[in-house]
Amino acid sequence: MFHRRPQSDFSEELRAHLGLEIERLRAEGLSEDEAYHAAHRALGNLAIAGERFYESSRWMWLEHAMQDTRQCLRRLRKTPAFTITAILTLALGIGATTSIFTLVDAVLLKSLPVANPSQLYRLGNEVHCCVWGGFTQSDEFSIVSYELYRQFRDHTPGFEELAAFDAGGHTFGVRRERGKSAAEPYLGEFVSGNYFSMFGIRSYAGRVLTAEDDRVGASPAVMMSYRVWQQKFGLDPSVIGDVFNMNGKAFTVVGVTPPGFFGDTLRSSTPDFFLPIATEPLLIGEGSIIGQPNRAWLDLIGRIRPGAVPLAIQAQMRVELQQWIRSHEGEMDASSRADIGKQTLYLTPGGAGITSMRHDYEHWLKILMMVSGFVLLIVCANVANLMLVRGMERRQQTSLSMALGARPMRIVRQALTESLILSLLGGAAGLAVAFADTRLILHFAFQTGTASPIDASPSLPVLLFAFGVSLFTGALFGILPAWMATRVDPVEALRGARATRQSGSLPRKALVVVQAALSLVLLSASGLLTQTLRNMEHRDFGFEQERRMILSVDPVLAGYKPGQLDLLYRRLHDSLTAIPGVAAEAAVLYSPQGGDSWNDMIFIEGRPRLATNVAWFDRVSTGYFETIGNRIIKGRSFSEQDTAASRHVAVVNESFAKKFFKGEDPIGRHFGNAEPGLAGEYEVIGVAKDGRYFSENQPFYFLSESQTALFSDTANNAGEVRSHYLHDIVISTTPGATVGDQQIRRAFAAVDPNLPVITMRSLSDQVASNFSQQRLLAQLTSLFGLLALVLGSIGLYGVTAYTVGSRTNEIGLRMALGAGRTSVVTMILRGAVILVACGLAVGIPLTLLSSRFLASQLFGVSRYDPAILSIAALALVFPALIAALIPALRASSISPIVALRAE
Amino acid sequence: MLSREEKNRVALLQGTLDLLILRILVFGPQHGQGIARAIQLNSEDVLLVDHGALYPALQRLESQAWIAAEWGVSSNNRKARFYTLTAKGRRRLVRETGQWRKLATAMARILDLEKLEVLEG
Repeated sequence: MFHRRPQSDFSEELRAHLGLEIERLRAEGLSEDEAYHAAHRALGNLAIAGERFYESSRWMWLEHAMQDTRQCLRRLRKTPAFTITAILTLALGIGATTSIFTLVDAVLLKSLPVANPSQLYRLGNEVHCCVWGGFTQSDEFSIVSYELYRQFRDHTPGFEELAAFDAGGHTFGVRRERGKSAAEPYLGEFVSGNYFSMFGIRSYAGRVLTAEDDRVGASPAVMMSYRVWQQKFGLDPSVIGDVFNMNGKAFTVVGVTPPGFFGDTLRSSTPDFFLPIATEPLLIGEGSIIGQPNRAWLDLIGRIRPGAVPLAIQAQMRVELQQWIRSHEGEMDASSRADIGKQTLYLTPGGAGITSMRHDYEHWLKILMMVSGFVLLIVCANVANLMLVRGMERRQQTSLSMALGARPMRIVRQALTESLILSLLGGAAGLAVAFADTRLILHFAFQTGTASPIDASPSLPVLLFAFGVSLFTGALFGILPAWMATRVDPVEALRGARATRQSGSLPRKALVVVQAALSLVLLSASGLLTQTLRNMEHRDFGFEQERRMILSVDPVLAGYKPGQLDLLYRRLHDSLTAIPGVAAEAAVLYSPQGGDSWNDMIFIEGRPRLATNVAWFDRVSTGYFETIGNRIIKGRSFSEQDTAASRHVAVVNESFAKKFFKGEDPIGRHFGNAEPGLAGEYEVIGVAKDGRYFSENQPFYFLSESQTALFSDTANNAGEVRSHYLHDIVISTTPGATVGDQQIRRAFAAVDPNLPVITMRSLSDQVASNFSQQRLLAQLTSLFGLLALVLGSIGLYGVTAYTVGSRTNEIGLRMALGAGRTSVVTMILRGAVILVACGLAVGIPLTLLSSRFLASQLFGVSRYDPAILSIAALALVFPALIAALIPALRASSISPIVALRAE
Repeated sequence: MLSREEKNRVALLQGTLDLLILRILVFGPQHGQGIARAIQLNSEDVLLVDHGALYPALQRLESQAWIAAEWGVSSNNRKARFYTLTAKGRRRLVRETGQWRKLATAMARILDLEKLEVLEG
């Protein structure tokens, strides 16, 4: 309905008006000339009237915006130092925040890259790993046996598909049949036949595994991950349909998974091969647990039917669970039987898969998000300060434009346009920073993983986030300077060059105070986290870390049978100790701080069963305690006299002795594991000093590689057999000696060329890798703290320098009247010190408040630690003083004559 | 005779100009210069119309469809753009006038009250 009237039409109307008005004035008796001028005067500036008409069109704002943008870009180009400083500062802040958000998005927010993830539901609230023994579970059933999976799959119609997969994962020795390469270790995961159809995943090449492959008697089929196909086989199409040797068994590679798919769980090392569950007995052999109803080892995820109610399915599954447990009541012991009624399960949204990483990383990602948010605020304060200075320098120009009739709104809009342009440019540069940052963080966070499923390149949500943060930042640092810009008196333009008032210094000072306060928070947070890391790394682990190496092996991969193991480890011992520089060697099921351990129920001979009778165990070869430097404080360690035929013996640690023997002498006492009938199985021969094997003060018992117990339960026997496959070889070297990788590999090859060394690392590296999260958190926070400190100091420098600049006359006058240089320096420094002191006054309570958030991440240090807070405060004050001293010294060197002449 | 400058003139409040334009157009179609002249004459030269502000106001009223415009010829045979009050504009005028009266009465009351208090004080 609105139609634009041409400008010419309007001009014509104005001309008509002038004509009429001149005619009237002439009629009133004015001369032609007088009438002409009077009419024009009354109408005012025709150009302004025309412009106002033009502006009434609704597209004007866009035109203004473009005009402002062009003008801003021109102004920014004219002041490259300011522009580059602002953009770089912003890029650091936005980049830091964005890179942390990339991780948050990948770990906490993203769904699995599968079809309709919202339809997926998973069994369990918590994430349980690996294998759970027994027909009952504490709290909830989150992993199930193969038998229970089939029960759920076949009797729960609410699921369109219900798939099962390994809760742990396995390492297999894999070799391509054609070609002569040696077997290499690869990660494999057993999955049910409907795994891929449940996720809606199609093969990238070949075909996916189906229910047909997951039958007893089907020809062994395996699916390869795209990553392995690309990295190890160069996308060679002949791989599909080819035969691969896995743990010595022939498997046909039927297909390759699509590139983005990393399986069901976001973790640092994702499966290389997907195998049908039905092939588990073939690959695992004697340790197979597929037929054991009391071994839970499968996670479940299902796609529910459209319209099905998850809560109804959960209720039905609970009934099924109870029925299934009761069908096994006869095989359970009395205490487990009493727990049957309490057994329950939960169905939870499964679109994100098995979210173990979420549990591990959630809190520290939140901390990092907060820390980077603080950095962003400091960046905003810094850029706002720059803008204020710029605004001050432009005062003259602004007041002139206002005197010439520019409207305040327009001035504000121009200032805001400038800050938004800067923040968007900063955001774009920040994305580059974020990309580099994220790759670096991923490298540190998942250094153990061969390939991280987290993509460092920015995704759409990350781009949107960066854009949003840029806009927010621009508005935040732009509003104050924009508002300040309009608070100029047009009269100022007509006055002399230098304003006598120190206008605008209060907001600038406030910004510096805010920066100092935020920097203090970050500095003390980094202090606390660094101290935590130091405490964790330097506590007493109960074993020696220096001169110790851990070689991880898996004799299963080379096809060793349980009867051959004792001999294998003895031959490895002889071969490795023959290397010059190797002082001792021993084998162990899981080396300390390797991230894995077994536990079992303990029964003490002649004692009633304890309510919580769980203890952790490790199996070792003779000489282990001496090799790792774990002191025996009572009795003896294993020796050559402990053989398969002799009395079965055990070494326990201090916590074990305290828990199960309560102050009595444990030496000579008997205990057993898993079954009450075996309570007399092991005789305690020694007590070892508590070592930090897995976590703190766990009761631990050690068994000998040479001895094997006989259980009544087949699953227990299978476990006993598996525990004889020791995964780690520990060697200690003589002081000053270096033992090369090649020497070790040669020593292995001398025993068996088919036995691969999976990894080789020093024990101190292995221990340190447990703290990679803490280290990353401490390092990133320190980095952010440092950044905050630098920015804060620059801010203070800026304010002080500006103060000195605007007080040049005053200082010159003071000095002319006899003030000494020292008093000038003191005067300028006093201003800076007051600002920093205000920053500390605001920052200390803020620090104490926000360190509450850190409390759960701290170890061996109080969150109110006064030393760390003092160091942080000093770290803040010292550079701040230097930043203030530079302009103060410059002020003191002002020549009075020059200063006064400048007036 | 008093010269113009000596007269005590009142600058127009924002929004009042719109109302005055509508009021003048009740008498029939008029061009911009005529409207300005009419306001000035009818207010006995108290109200000063800024000619530069008049045209944007006309533009505003036209875009609200309260007045319509057409090119025509003035009484002294000059080409001019004539404005007419539309039905919508007439309704607007009635409502605005009512509000103005209310406001003016209220203002007068308060101002008088103040005068009394000042006198008493």
